[in-house]
Amino acid sequence: MTMPILPPEDLSNKAISARITTNAIKSIKNGLIKKKNLVYLELNGCSGNIISLLNGQNPDFEYTFKSMVDIQYSNSLMVAEGEKAIEKLMKALEGEYILAVEGAVALKNNGLYNIIGSWKGKPLTGLEAVKMLGEKASHILAVGACATHGGVSAAKPNPSESVGLNKVLPHKKIIMLPGCPVHPDWFLGTLAHLLLYGEPETDSLNRPLMFYSTLIHDRCPRRPFFDRGIFAEKLSDKTCLFKLGCRGPVTRTDCPTRQWNGHVNWPIGDDTPCIGCAQFGFPDAMAPFISFDTTRVVKNE
Amino acid sequence: MNKRIVINPLTRISGFLEIDVRIENKRVVDAKTKGNLFRGFEQMLVGRSPFDAVYFTQRICGICSAAHSMASSLALEDALKIEPLEQGRYLRDIIHSCEFLQNHIRHFYQYTVPDFVKMDQNTLLQTDHTDFRLPKAINDRIAQHYFDSLAISRSAHQMLAVLGGKAPHNHGVFIGGITTKATAEKVVHIDSLLQKIALFIDEKMIPDVYDIAKYYPEYFQLGGGYGNLLSYGSFHNYKELGTLYTNPLVLTKKGIEVFDEKNIEEKIDYSYYQAPANKDQQNKAVPEPDMDKEKAYSWVKAPRYNGLPFEVGPLARLILSGTYPNRISAMDRTIARALEAKKIAEIMKILLKQIIPGVELQQKYELPSSAFGRGLVDTTRGALGHWLEIKDKKISFYQIITPSTWDFSTRDENGYRGVAEEALIGTPIVNPEQPVEIGRILRSFDPCMSCATHVYSPGKQVKTIQVF
Repeated sequence: MTMPILPPEDLSNKAISARITTNAIKSIKNGLIKKKNLVYLELNGCSGNIISLLNGQNPDFEYTFKSMVDIQYSNSLMVAEGEKAIEKLMKALEGEYILAVEGAVALKNNGLYNIIGSWKGKPLTGLEAVKMLGEKASHILAVGACATHGGVSAAKPNPSESVGLNKVLPHKKIIMLPGCPVHPDWFLGTLAHLLLYGEPETDSLNRPLMFYSTLIHDRCPRRPFFDRGIFAEKLSDKTCLFKLGCRGPVTRTDCPTRQWNGHVNWPIGDDTPCIGCAQFGFPDAMAPFISFDTTRVVKNE
Repeated sequence: MNKRIVINPLTRISGFLEIDVRIENKRVVDAKTKGNLFRGFEQMLVGRSPFDAVYFTQRICGICSAAHSMASSLALEDALKIEPLEQGRYLRDIIHSCEFLQNHIRHFYQYTVPDFVKMDQNTLLQTDHTDFRLPKAINDRIAQHYFDSLAISRSAHQMLAVLGGKAPHNHGVFIGGITTKATAEKVVHIDSLLQKIALFIDEKMIPDVYDIAKYYPEYFQLGGGYGNLLSYGSFHNYKELGTLYTNPLVLTKKGIEVFDEKNIEEKIDYSYYQAPANKDQQNKAVPEPDMDKEKAYSWVKAPRYNGLPFEVGPLARLILSGTYPNRISAMDRTIARALEAKKIAEIMKILLKQIIPGVELQQKYELPSSAFGRGLVDTTRGALGHWLEIKDKKISFYQIITPSTWDFSTRDENGYRGVAEEALIGTPIVNPEQPVEIGRILRSFDPCMSCATHVYSPGKQVKTIQVF
């Protein structure tokens, strides 16, 4: 009897990361992975990454928090409030934990532009908290554009003097998950990899290759229009959005194949240009987001 | 007995909020709500392309980003003198409705329910008080709905992405309505998800909120406040459909009047900003930040209408639209949010029925060299306004007054407290070591401090402009 011939394994980034997540889930179920503690710190930002994480589908939030990690702290979700909440943050310091941070670190007035709570009657700034927690964390994840490089919170003229995590923890390895917001799979897939195999393979800017290896432009379904020079002149056109300011040619994510919100759509699928929200330098380096006349002479920009 | 209670952070909200109350004889006699986050969006926007405001301002808030895309698109349409097609309005309002559903379901189950329902005792859901009164069967049912609701609120964002590209921070809402054309597939995709969401609201969310209300009846007497209500209008004034929800109205002790935006001003007596007149009216220069200012205690300013503080949000809309008795309390606010979710799902069904596939809504837009625009719209938490000025085809001025700025304002020189501050006055605190009443009342407003505290723009860069 001959062995059946199996179809070749799908080697797209999406399939690889799906396999990793599925394996991680299996391993946790079989007791191969020990649940770890997670401290989820929100700093100067819009708290949109935690909302994006609630949009996670497989794994979803219930699975993540019941089977993957014990969340020690989250301003948006934890039931405790006031100093009793901060007490849990301080207690987490005593054990081993993964630190995930969303939002930028505001430096102005010694961090007082972003107070995350009070401890023993004194204000606790985001700056103090991230330095303290960053030093002892087993792994650090910068979640979303504000945490990876300052993002919108640091947009010029940057009134709060916001910076990315690496500026206040210069000697620590920080896994970078840029995006505005982060895609839930990018965060949860990276977390699964940490639990199952340790640190994922990253590029020179510390982005996990399984999500951030390939330019949007290289896998864009509208690439044939680009190659033939057929360009959209307005939003809603179904051709290449390059001349409206699309940042797909400089942005490395798997949006074209993964898509968003249960894989139903993505910005280019909505007939709008990619604005490079997952590229370092967003938003200032990616502005203007939409231009109807890209043939103009650019002065002083 | 006198005691000061500080809760910082007030968790289970969007952003950072500190509350500082003074109690005498176990009753709140003074209260200050403090916004503890500052980024400065109004200053960041100066010099940018006006088109970028739609995507940029969404980053003010992760839970209500579509709201800001609505207000900035309206402001740009006003500035560019573009009237969207009704089809564009319908589609844009459908996107906005998805956000209402996402927000209200998450706010109720993830933020409000743990105040009244005893959850699993792992670290994240561990409670710090003992006032849980629901019978075990009801408690366990609602605790299970905390998790069941996750798939429902997620699918509300999925509906949003079908027309908006992604959520949070959608790409779809824009000048002219939305950026893409409707198709039968998109309409039926949304309708299919909407049916499940509507069923969840009817069969779980609304019964759950009434069960909570039954066992915590004193919250119908707590958290009242001034009783001044305001709405910029919500799903109103369609050419053929008329008003599906609320017209722009205000309610005071004198009765209901038509809203007039000339009566809005923003005060900064107790906010971390300096300006000569200590108030920030739309046609005046905008003040500079100053954390050392005497008396100041928050990044949130104090908008007033005819000099009075006003409450905005779902309860205000339900009362102004005549669909809820004029009864203002913490529990009424929470019930209103659930009832409004049902109302919004019904409005969405009506709007979906009007959609004609394939209608072109977009064109190549030209920027005027100078213009002024304003976009006022009621969003999940209440009245949201964006005001902008264009000079040399760039943004030269941008001002935002968010719903949480109305509800969580600081006090003013006339002695009026902010709406949420006033709502706390007189509240009995049963156990000062576990002041659970304060968080329950404040969360009934659904505070979004990411939104409330984004503001400022230094006077020296802003030319005097005439807004109204």
